[in-house]
Amino acid sequence: MISLKNLPYKNLKGYAGRTAALLLFSMLMALATFGGTMVISGIRAGLNKVESRFGADIMVTPEDAKNDFDAQNVLLKAEPGYFYMEKGKMDEIAKVDGIEKMSAQLFMASAKAGCCSAKVQMIAYDPATDFTIQPWIADTYTDGPMGLMDVVVGSNVTVYDNHIIRFYDNDCRIIGQFAPTGSTLDNCVYMNYDTVKVLIKASFKKGLNQYSEYDPDDVISAVMIKVRPGADIEKVAGDITKQVDGVSVATSKNMVAGIGDSLKKISGSVSFFTVTFWLIGTLMTILIFAMMINERKREFASLWAMGASRKIISDLVIREAVVVNLAGGILGIVLSALILFMFKDLIGQVLGVGFLIPGPVTIILLAGAALLSVLLAAAISAWIGVRRISRMDASLVLKEGQ
Amino acid sequence: MILRADEVRKDFPRAGKSSNYFTAVYPLDFVLESGQFTVITGKSGSGKSTLLNMLAGMLTPSGGKVFLDDKDIYSLDEKTLARLRNEKIGLIPQGHTALLSLTVLENVLLPYILYNKAQPPEKKAKDLLDQVGIASLMEARPNELSGGELRRMAIARAMLMEPSILLADEPTAGLDSENTIAVLSLLRQAADEGAAVLVVTHENEADHFTDHVLTMDGGRLKG
Repeated sequence: MISLKNLPYKNLKGYAGRTAALLLFSMLMALATFGGTMVISGIRAGLNKVESRFGADIMVTPEDAKNDFDAQNVLLKAEPGYFYMEKGKMDEIAKVDGIEKMSAQLFMASAKAGCCSAKVQMIAYDPATDFTIQPWIADTYTDGPMGLMDVVVGSNVTVYDNHIIRFYDNDCRIIGQFAPTGSTLDNCVYMNYDTVKVLIKASFKKGLNQYSEYDPDDVISAVMIKVRPGADIEKVAGDITKQVDGVSVATSKNMVAGIGDSLKKISGSVSFFTVTFWLIGTLMTILIFAMMINERKREFASLWAMGASRKIISDLVIREAVVVNLAGGILGIVLSALILFMFKDLIGQVLGVGFLIPGPVTIILLAGAALLSVLLAAAISAWIGVRRISRMDASLVLKEGQ
Repeated sequence: MILRADEVRKDFPRAGKSSNYFTAVYPLDFVLESGQFTVITGKSGSGKSTLLNMLAGMLTPSGGKVFLDDKDIYSLDEKTLARLRNEKIGLIPQGHTALLSLTVLENVLLPYILYNKAQPPEKKAKDLLDQVGIASLMEARPNELSGGELRRMAIARAMLMEPSILLADEPTAGLDSENTIAVLSLLRQAADEGAAVLVVTHENEADHFTDHVLTMDGGRLKG
C-alpha cells in the first residue's frame, strides 16, 4: 500500500520514460568515471609492478644486441629474443665504482616449431648472485632452490594440468607462476643456469639457434646491477659505458620511461573524457529534472494543497533523484567492472601499456568516488528542482493549465 | 470552527513593471462557520479563486488577516501552516490534480500518508469513492478517468481527513447535471455533518444546496 516512503518509487515507475533516461545518463556517468579512474589506476599499478619486478637499477646488454633490445619498449612490446656477450664483461663491469650488487642473466627464446609448447622468452639467473628474480619466486614457490629443469612462468604462459612445458624436446616442470605485471615479463619463463644451458645445447642440436658458435658456459646475455645507496644511477651507467667496451647500458628509468610517457598521455585523455562525460551527464540530468519539475508542477502544487510542507515535497524530489542516480550509478559501475575484467588484456594491448586491475581496496574506493560523482550530479539537479518548486506559486499553478 | 477573513486584500504585480500592481481582491471581510454551505459566484477573473486560496492558506494576502478560530494562519511558520491545511482544510482545486503515477485509491489516500506512518484508511477511502460514484475505478490510473471522474476523485481526497473546512474551486465545472447534483449533495452532506463549506463557481446550479450565496465582482464581495 502507498506510503510516503514508497512514493518516490511509485513516481519513478509511473514516469518510466523519464526514469529510463535518468538511469541511462547516471549509468554512463558512473561507467565513465569508474572506468576512467580504473584505467588510470590500472596503468599506474602496472607501472609500479613492473618497476618493482624489474628490480635492478641498471641493465647491461651487448652493444650489438640493439636490434633485439629497445630499452624503452622492451617491457611493453618486446618479441622473445636472445643475444650474448662474453662472460668476462662481468669482471670489467665490477671494476666500476658505485655498484652494490650485480648478477648475470642468460636469455633464450623458444621456437614456434613443434619442439616447444609455446614461443616465450626464457630468462636464466645465477642463484648465487641473483637479486631480481629470486625474491619474486619466493612469493610463488617456497620449497627450496629451483632444481634442474624446473621453471617458474609469467602470468600469460599457459600452465596445463600436468605442469609440464616443453622446450626443444625437453620437458620442464612448472613449479610456480607469477602474478601479472601487465608487461612483457608476463610472457617470460624463468629458470636457473643449468636448465637454460641444457636448452641452449638442445637448440644447437636442432639447428634452431643462430649463435651456435658460442659455448653456453662462457656467455651471458645481460648483467643486472643494483647501485650502492646514495650512488647516482646515471653516473654509474655513464661510467660503465665509458669503461666497458661493447656494451649497451639502460637504466630502470629508461626502461619504464616508455610506460611513464604513455601513462601521462593516456591519463590526460582518459581524464578529459571522464570529465566531459560527467559534465554531459550532469547537464542532461539537470535538463531531464527541469523537464520533470515542469511536467509535474501541478502534482507538486496539489501535494501542497493537501498539506504537504515544502520539506516533504523537497524530500520527495531529492529521494527520486538519489534513488534513480544511485541505481544508474551502481549499474554503470558493475557494467564498467565487467568490461574491465573481461577485456583487461585487450585494454592493455589497445592502450599499448601494461594494465593491471587494481586491488580490491582501490576498486572499492574508486567505485565509491564514482558513486559520489553521480550523486553530486543528482544533488545539483535535485537542488535546482527544489528551488524551482519552492519559488512556484502553487495557487497560480493550480489555476492555470487545467 | 470559524474561518474568518479580516480586511484581506490581494495585489499582484503586473508583468514587466515591478512597481505597477493590480488588485485582484479589494479589502473585504468574510466569515465561514461550521455547518454552513456558502457559495460565492462571479465571472472569471472576479477574484473568487484568489479569495479561496487566501482562505485555504495557499496564498499570502497583501493585506489583512485570515483566522481559523482565533489563530492568524499566516502568522504560522510554513510547516505548521502545511500541517494545519492537511488536518483542518480540505481543498478541492480547479482542474486535474491527480498524481498520474498512482491509482485513484492511492490518490485519495495521499493526504493521510503525508504525516502518518500507520496503515492508511483504505476502507474509508473506498467508502468515499463509493459516495462519489467511482468505486469501480479505484484501481484505475488517473489518465483513464474523465474530467468529471477526476473532479469526484479530488472531492473524495479532500474529504478523507474529515476536514472542518471544505473549500472547493469550481467543483462542478464540466460535469453533467447528474454528476453536478451528486457532487453538490456530497458537499451539502459535509456541511450538515458540521463542516464549513465554501464553493466558488461562476455557475448558479449550487444555489439550491446552499445557505448563503455571495457574489464577487471586480475583486469586491457583495452580499
